[in-house]
This record gives sequence, C-alpha cells and structure tokens, in this order.
Amino acid sequence: MTMVEDLGRLSKRSGPQSSSLQDGSRIAVVGAGPAGSLFSYFLLNMAEAVSLDIGVDLFEPRHFCHRGPAGCNHCGGIVSESLVQRLATEGIMLPDGVVQRGIESYTLHMDVGDVEIETPLAEKRIAAIYRGNGPRNSEPLDTHSFDGYLLELAQEKGANLVPRLVTGVRREDNRMRVTCADQYCNDYDLAVIATGVNSRLVESLEDESREFRRPGRTKTFICEFLLGRDVIRDTFGPSMHVFFLDIPRLKFAALIPKGDYVTLCLLGKDIDDELMQQFFSSPEVMNCFPKGTVPSHVCHCYPRINIDAANPAYSDRLVMIGDSGTTRLFKDGIGASYRTAKAAARTVVFHGTGAEDFEKYYAPTCRAISKDNQVGKVVFGFGSLIQKSRFARRGVLRMTANEQKNANGSRRMSEVLWDLFSGSASYTDVFLRTLHPAYIGSLLWNLVAGNSPSASSRNGHGRGQECDRVEH
Amino acid sequence: MSNTKTPPRASAQPVFWTHAQQLEKLPPCQAQCPNSGDVRGWLGIIAQHEKTGLTLEQAYDRAWEKLTELNPLPATLGRICPHPCEDLCSRRDKDGSVSINAMERYIGDWGLARSLKWSVPAQSEKPESIGVIGSGPASLSFTYQMARRGYQVSLYERHAVAGGMLRQAIPDFRLPREVLDAEIQRLFELPVTLHKNTEVGLDISLNELRDRHALIFLGLGAQGAHRLGIPGEAGPGVVSGIAYLRRRKQRLALTTGRRVVVIGGGNTAIDAARCARREGAEVTVLYRRSAKEMPAATNEVDDARAEGVRFEFLVSPTQVLRKGPVIQWIEVQAMRLGAPDEQGRRRPVPIPGEKRLLRVDTVIVAVSQAPDWAGLDLEQDDTQWLMTEEDGRLAENLWAGGDDRGPAIAGKAIAQGRLAAEAAHAELSGTRRPLECQERRTLNMGEIKPDFYRDQERECQARRPQEEWLDSAEPEIDQTIGHEQAQREAARCMSCGLCFDCEACFMYCNGGGFTRLEESRPGHYFALSLDACEGCGKCIEVCPCGYLEVRESSANGSDQ
Amino acid sequence: MARLGKQYSDGDVIFREGDTGTCMFVIQKGEVEVFVESDGHELILRKIGANDFFGEMALFEHETRTASARAVGPTHVLTIDKKNFLAGVHEDPSLAFRIVKTMSHRIRNLTDRLAKYEEDI
Repeated sequence: MTMVEDLGRLSKRSGPQSSSLQDGSRIAVVGAGPAGSLFSYFLLNMAEAVSLDIGVDLFEPRHFCHRGPAGCNHCGGIVSESLVQRLATEGIMLPDGVVQRGIESYTLHMDVGDVEIETPLAEKRIAAIYRGNGPRNSEPLDTHSFDGYLLELAQEKGANLVPRLVTGVRREDNRMRVTCADQYCNDYDLAVIATGVNSRLVESLEDESREFRRPGRTKTFICEFLLGRDVIRDTFGPSMHVFFLDIPRLKFAALIPKGDYVTLCLLGKDIDDELMQQFFSSPEVMNCFPKGTVPSHVCHCYPRINIDAANPAYSDRLVMIGDSGTTRLFKDGIGASYRTAKAAARTVVFHGTGAEDFEKYYAPTCRAISKDNQVGKVVFGFGSLIQKSRFARRGVLRMTANEQKNANGSRRMSEVLWDLFSGSASYTDVFLRTLHPAYIGSLLWNLVAGNSPSASSRNGHGRGQECDRVEH
Repeated sequence: MSNTKTPPRASAQPVFWTHAQQLEKLPPCQAQCPNSGDVRGWLGIIAQHEKTGLTLEQAYDRAWEKLTELNPLPATLGRICPHPCEDLCSRRDKDGSVSINAMERYIGDWGLARSLKWSVPAQSEKPESIGVIGSGPASLSFTYQMARRGYQVSLYERHAVAGGMLRQAIPDFRLPREVLDAEIQRLFELPVTLHKNTEVGLDISLNELRDRHALIFLGLGAQGAHRLGIPGEAGPGVVSGIAYLRRRKQRLALTTGRRVVVIGGGNTAIDAARCARREGAEVTVLYRRSAKEMPAATNEVDDARAEGVRFEFLVSPTQVLRKGPVIQWIEVQAMRLGAPDEQGRRRPVPIPGEKRLLRVDTVIVAVSQAPDWAGLDLEQDDTQWLMTEEDGRLAENLWAGGDDRGPAIAGKAIAQGRLAAEAAHAELSGTRRPLECQERRTLNMGEIKPDFYRDQERECQARRPQEEWLDSAEPEIDQTIGHEQAQREAARCMSCGLCFDCEACFMYCNGGGFTRLEESRPGHYFALSLDACEGCGKCIEVCPCGYLEVRESSANGSDQ
Repeated sequence: MARLGKQYSDGDVIFREGDTGTCMFVIQKGEVEVFVESDGHELILRKIGANDFFGEMALFEHETRTASARAVGPTHVLTIDKKNFLAGVHEDPSLAFRIVKTMSHRIRNLTDRLAKYEEDI
C-alpha cells in the first residue's frame, strides 16, 4: 500500500464526525421482507453508481423456502399494477415461479349483482404472489416466494444475509448496536428497521428508545382455500373477487386466485367470529365457490397491518421503512415498501444518515403517503356508505355494468373502482376523479335508473348480471 | 369466550386450527444414553448462562453438578464411553453431532481441577448400612447414589484399589490412572469405606455380609474369559485378553515375545493389541468375520492401525502348535461369510482346504468375557449371567448390576448401579421412586428444524502427535478440548425438545401470546396465553427445537 | 405458468411506425425486433430480449412512433403507462435512471454507427 493511499484512508477515518456514509461504512437492515430487501438492493445499486464501498448486513432468521406460516410474511399477496410497472422500469422482472397468477380483472360482488371490471388494456399487469413459499402443507410445485426472490436480488447486489433474530437495536457511542437472540452483537453506522408490524421489535424499540411512537395496528384475517388449478380457472378465473357487502364492521374483503389456492383477505374493525360468520354465510361469498359451499381452509392467520405511521419514522442513524414506518392504508403495502425503501436509500447515499437528512429527504415520501391515506379514509368512508345503502349499490352496479358493455365509452366508475381495489392510483387521484361533474352526473342518472321499477329488465344483459337474490 | 378462537363455521369439514402448547420432550441423545444422561440439561446451563445470569464459571460448576447427579465419574466416562448419545444427535446430518463425550470429559476435568464438592440432597443420615461387592462402575455408581442419600456404604474389593475393569483393563493411554484415582477418591468424601484386598467367598462369606448389612449389591463384573476350545490352547504362550491387560496395568513383567497374535474383534482385543505394540511386539489381530462386523469402536480400530497393528479378517484359529513347551505356530482357517445369524450378523463359514500357519510367540485370546463367581455361594452357577428384575433386584435385600448381568459398556453399568440404588432406597425408606424421564415422549425426527440453526463446525479434541503415541510413558492420546472450544461446542446443542430462548415465538406471534417469564432458567423463558392464541400455528413452525407443538384438542377444529 | 403482460405470437406487430404512442414496453419473455420500412425494404434497427425495453421515446415526447416493433417467437410484453411512469419519476427521479442509462448507451451506439457510415462513404 502506498503512503498516499494510507493517508487517504486515515483522513477518511479521522475526518469530522459526519453522519454520511463513507467507504467501509456498515449498515444493518433488520428484516428481509420487501422493504428490507429492496432497500438493500437500491442502496447497493446507488452506492455502486457513486463508487461508494459499503457493507450491508441483512438480518433475517427465517427461510422463505419454507411452506406455511414459518416462511410467510402474511399478506393477501397482490403486487399492484403501478408497482409491477415500476419494478419493470427498474429492471426487476417477477419470474414465472413468483407470479402465481396474472390478474386481469376485478369482479365486484354486491347483493344487487356482480360485475366484472376489466383492465383497460386486456393485459395481465397485477401479480398474485405468495410472500412465503405457499400455504401450509402445499405441494412443492414450481412456486417461489416473492420475498425470497427480492432477497436473492439483494444478495446478488452484495447484501450479506445474517440468519439471526434481532432483539434489540440501540444507540451506543454514536453508532447503532444490533443485538440478537443468540447473544450476537455488532455496531453499525446505520440501522434500518424493516421488520413490519408483525414482529415485536418495533414495540421493544419504542419502549427502549422513547424516540418515536410505533405504528398503529389493526387486525386482519387471511386464509387459504385449496381448490386446484382447474377449478380455479373455471370459477374464479384470472379475476380478483371483491365484496361490497352490508356487513357491520366489514371494510373490505377479496378472494385472490393463485396457483392451486384462493387467498381470502379480510379487512374490518375488530375482526371476530361474528363478522367472519356473517361474511362466510353470505350468499355472495358462498356462490363464488364450487357448489356454493365454502370449503375448509388450510392455513390462516390474523396479521396486523399498519394504519397509523410511526412518528417520527427516523432519527440519527436509524430509519424505519415499509410497514415499520409508513404504509398505504389497506392497499398496496408492498408498493409503499418500495417507495419508502427507495426514498431511504436515496437519502442515505446522496445526503446522509442524520435525523435532519431523513427529515429533509425521507420524510416527504412518508408524509405524501400519510396525506393520501387521509383522503383514503374519506374514500373508504364513501365506500362504506355505498356498502350500507342498497339504493346506492344499484346505481354503482348499473353504471359499471353499462361502462363495461360499452367498450369505447368513458369508464369513469370502472376506473375509479379499479384503482381503488387494485391500489394502482393514489387515493387523492381516485377522490378527485369522483368529484368530476361527469362522474357525478352519470352516477346520479344511474342511481335513478338503477332503482326504477323497470331496472332489472334493462339491466339483465351484458356483463353486469342482476341477480336480485332476495334472501333464500 | 375469547372472540378469535373459533374458526369460521360456514364449512362442513373440520378446519385446520392449531392452538400451540409448550411441551418438553426427551431429546435423542438422552434417549440413546444407557444412563439417560441429561445432556441437553448440562449443555444448556453452559450455552444459556448469559440468559440466566450466570458467569461462565458458575455455569460450568452447575453443569458439573447436573452431570454428576446421574454419573459420579464424568472425567472417566468422558474418556472411555463409546457415546451412543452422539449417534442420533439432531445435529449429525447438518454439521456433525455435538461432541457430547468431549464435553463430558471437559466438565469432568473441570470438576477435578476445581475440586468441586458433591451436591448432596439435604437428607438425614440413614441407619441402614449397605454392602457392595466389587468396585467397578456399577458398584461405584450404586455406592455413590446410596451414600449421597445418607447410607453408610462398605465396598469389598479383592484388589488393593477400587475401580474394577476401569482400573484393571483399560490402558493408561485411554484413561490415565490419575484421572480414575481422583474421581474414585472423591467418593470417599461421602460415608463410604473401602475394604480392600477382601475377596468375598474367600476372606468373608456372602452370608456373613448379608448379616452385617441391611442390603447387598453385587457388582461382580465378568471376570472370566471364554476360551477358543482348540487343541493346544491350554499351555504356555496363550493368555486371555483380560489377564494380559490386568497384568500390564499392574506393571507386572510380561514375556510376550516379538510376534503377538490377538484373537477377537472387540474392544478388549484392540486394547490388548495396542498394549502389545507398546511392548514392542509385532501384533496381528485375527478376526473371523470381516472388518464391517467387528464390534470394536471404529476410532479405536483406526488408532490401532495407525500404531502399526495388523488386521487379518475372515480367519479363525484351529490349533496352537508347540515345539516342546515353546509355542511356535498358530494354525488358521480361512473363512467366508455365510447366512446371517439370529442377530443379523453373517456367520463365518470355513473355506475347505484353506489353512495356513502363522509364526507366533504369544497368542492373546479376547473373544468374549464370561461370568465368574466361584466361591461366592450364589444360588446361581456361573454358566450364565445373573437374572435380575429390571431394577436390579436379585433376591430379598440382594441387588446386582454391571457386567455380572451381561457384558455392556460402562455407561450401562453406571445406569444399572444408579437405578438399583434408586429402587433400593425407595424400598428401604418407603418412598416412591422418582419418575423416570423415559415417560416423556421422545422428540420425533422432523420436529427439530436444523435449518433454523446456524452452521457451526463440530469441535474436536486435539490429539497428541502420532510419533509420541507409543512412548514408554504411555501418554493419553486424546486431549481435553480447550475453554473456547468447549463454549462453542456447548452452544452447538440444539436443545431438542426444550425451549432455549431463541425468542422466535415471542417475536413473531401476531397475537402477542407469549410473555417473558421474570424468573428464567433453561426450558423456562416464556409463558403462552391461550386466550391470545389465534391458532395460526406460526410459533410451532418457527420453533426450532420442537418444544412448541399442536395442542391435540384443537388439531381438527373441535376445540370447544 | 403464470406470466404477466400481454402475449404476442411470432410476427405480431406490437406497434407501427407512425402510430401515436403513450406507453413504453418491457419484454417479460421472448424477443422483439425494432425495424423501419422504406421503399418496401425493412431495416432492422435492433433485436432486444427479456428485461429490455422499447418504445421509451413515447414517455418523453408527444410524437409518433419512429419505428415499428414486432415479436420474434412467442413473446410476453408488459406495458408501462406514461402517466404511471411520470408520476413515479415525479416522486423519485431515479426511477428514470435505468432508462436514461440505456438511452445513453443507444445514442453512443448510434454515434459509432454513424461515424462508421460516414467513413465508409
């Protein structure tokens, strides 16, 4: 080594206590879900672009090759249209084994009838995936975990996978000390928390550091039904089935067809027995299944989702991404993980790892998501109003069905519903569109027409099928 | 009723619904150990010492106490046990079984180096006095278990020192006599008296002893040796393996000559062959089956080869030939393997016409041991082993254990001595015997999840350089593992079937069903609340050691 | 096997020179030929494979397609909407980095080819 190089290294090390990454900096990423893996991937990518030589330790004790809950990160498993496009733009293609099914339409189920909303381009741009490697006891077919795939990408970029369970992250002499259940302990220049809200780490961080408030959570229900590929093709098709039912406390429910399984994803307030029983015994749900019977499920869980962002989601040398920090309300959590992960990576590579850097460059992304969530609450509020009113449901059904029949006309309702269900557009965008006079006008007309006595005769053809099932 | 505990009922079929429960299981090492050694227990104390607030020194002390609850000779067994515990270690196929035997030795040596005191249960002195005949591992184990319960024990040993076959037959290079001395000496810290040079049946009769003591334990061993039954066997130049080893251990003069042939394939044969090599002889081991069938421990055979012992397989001696009184040749018959016998071992069959002569100065016959209690006035003759009840009871106030019930490894003798003591104590004191750990379910293969454990190479004992093996001082070949090695090795234990605080269930339970216990010890770190359990089964699937399992009543949705 | 995007068979034209474009395409699987036609002659500009994109100019300009694209063998192509792309770039300009890098690469190629062409003349 020449003296010049030696001096260079010395000056780098003994320089002012700056909180920006330097050659040799070490970063701990806790959790290898989409947020952790994408952060590592983009961080190393950007660091390479600016010739910064850093080390990333990605902590994840579980194996995504395991079937069942051990290798699963619990979610409905939808990669939204917008995220599929953005990942493709970044050069990240979802391989065949990861995509369990390409979704090309949404089927809206209401008591007043069903309607199928097709993607505008007749193209499969929504991916149904498994976060782990498929449900409990599933056959080891050619499935591949989505999270496992992203982790492989991060590892290919140079992230070092550390298979240990992190139980503590704390500040120690201006560095972040990561401790694990097996007593392993190491110090880092930056700690990135990407554990989601279904691990206790965020909780213990809040208790220990008192530097922030952990995210607010609510319980959801997810389960898997084994129906077989052929049955799914004939019943559910490449369509995600969304339920707009007048069941108290039910916010949203969808059946997502995958390879041999159909995933149920249920959101609501204080999900309990009663709510689920009402849901499972509603004819709209039962009729989705072969012979009108809901089969037994093979795997279920009650994952928590983030409904209120961590505040703040960063401090010096510490940042929370994905569900541990901020996510989109109810929808497209993976998309939010991508956005926050990338924003955090950008911040630390191009600006720094101090709280002020995160405030200036990372927080805006979180705030944009949170702000949109406020609008989202209003939109879901409208949604539940419609859900509660048979009158309104008829109008929505009629308007959507007519739009779907008329291939070349405007499709305001269809697009609003599509974007709302698929999480493809921001809530703000969806909301603004519903304020458009043409939308309101059309809806009003359909409300009247859909509820007039002759409605059923006019509505009985096309994609929308009036199936006015008065309680059997 | 908790509102999340019942699955949706819209379906007619049962629903997969998995409430978890914490249930300790018997680990395979303990199931394999003849003495049911709580390997997981004493390794766990070391591996989890930080979690339970112990210093490393305290942890080793406690591990020694735990280990010596069942085995008073850990430094000895840590050297000579063929360690069946390691055969089915869950770690075996991942990166090698835990070096349990090396750890036992390390802890045994730790106890000797620190002169640790027995952990004696707080019990009053008992009035009954106990007589023990023989002082091999079974007798020592029985003596220890009775003495620490407060009984006065008298040991009757025909030799000048206690130890039985451990002392008489195992060569110093496998078990240095200082180690055995130190471990046996410690027994006399308990109310134990040794009557040395006392041969029961000769110096004192068994009936006299039965009058003197409330209870007698027979640890007679298998002092006899089977003979080959071939012409010329009786006569100078032919000696039994046990006799040879005993004379050598007693440092008596040996005149074995240059060419030694050892007959047999067991550990005694190998020990005898290795000893003869140390006397400078050219040694050939003859075995009538092939190498694969040889019962001796593989590593001992490998070491013997390394020392220059030759092996000839599929040969059987047919006669010993002398010139006058001096042995000259041994005639051997070539064999082949025939049909399997009742134990599944293939029976050797002679190949007609294939005989040859081997030049020989001494033949050591080590084919198998036999009972020998001549003069003891037992109701049973010594053509067969003692038939006791399972706990070792032979007759009223007469118990037995060890090789006199059939030859086995030393660990088995320790176990028989201990179990007899537990049963005898229960009888004398009118108390119940402690529940055997066998009553716990053994961990099934597949319940342990090896890929949740990080890879960690097995630590092995260092060995003396091979050129020093045949040194006249007869140094021990294997060396006790180092301190860091021992710590790393203890941490390799997967704690099969018992919580070791990996925290996976606690960290990943969606419902927050696990709470940390304020007072923790190995196996006891978390409490599980069924009210919070949402039945997803994640904790069971991320539990690496198989401690968490499906609660039976809930497996098919019939809970409540 | 589950695959995203739209499926094209061998020889299917994905877009034609002169069409108005509002999106870019990313190849999921298979190959695509980008070509121009003049005097009934076809000139193949380049052949691109999985993970590569084409039609990217439409994202930045409001003009017609400068070339045609055609599937070679069975091909899956994913569409990237201009609106989605621009919304993304607005939030995170680095989203465009890969496209800019590839376009820069293509310009370099073109320059080389042009220089060579002028030399030949």
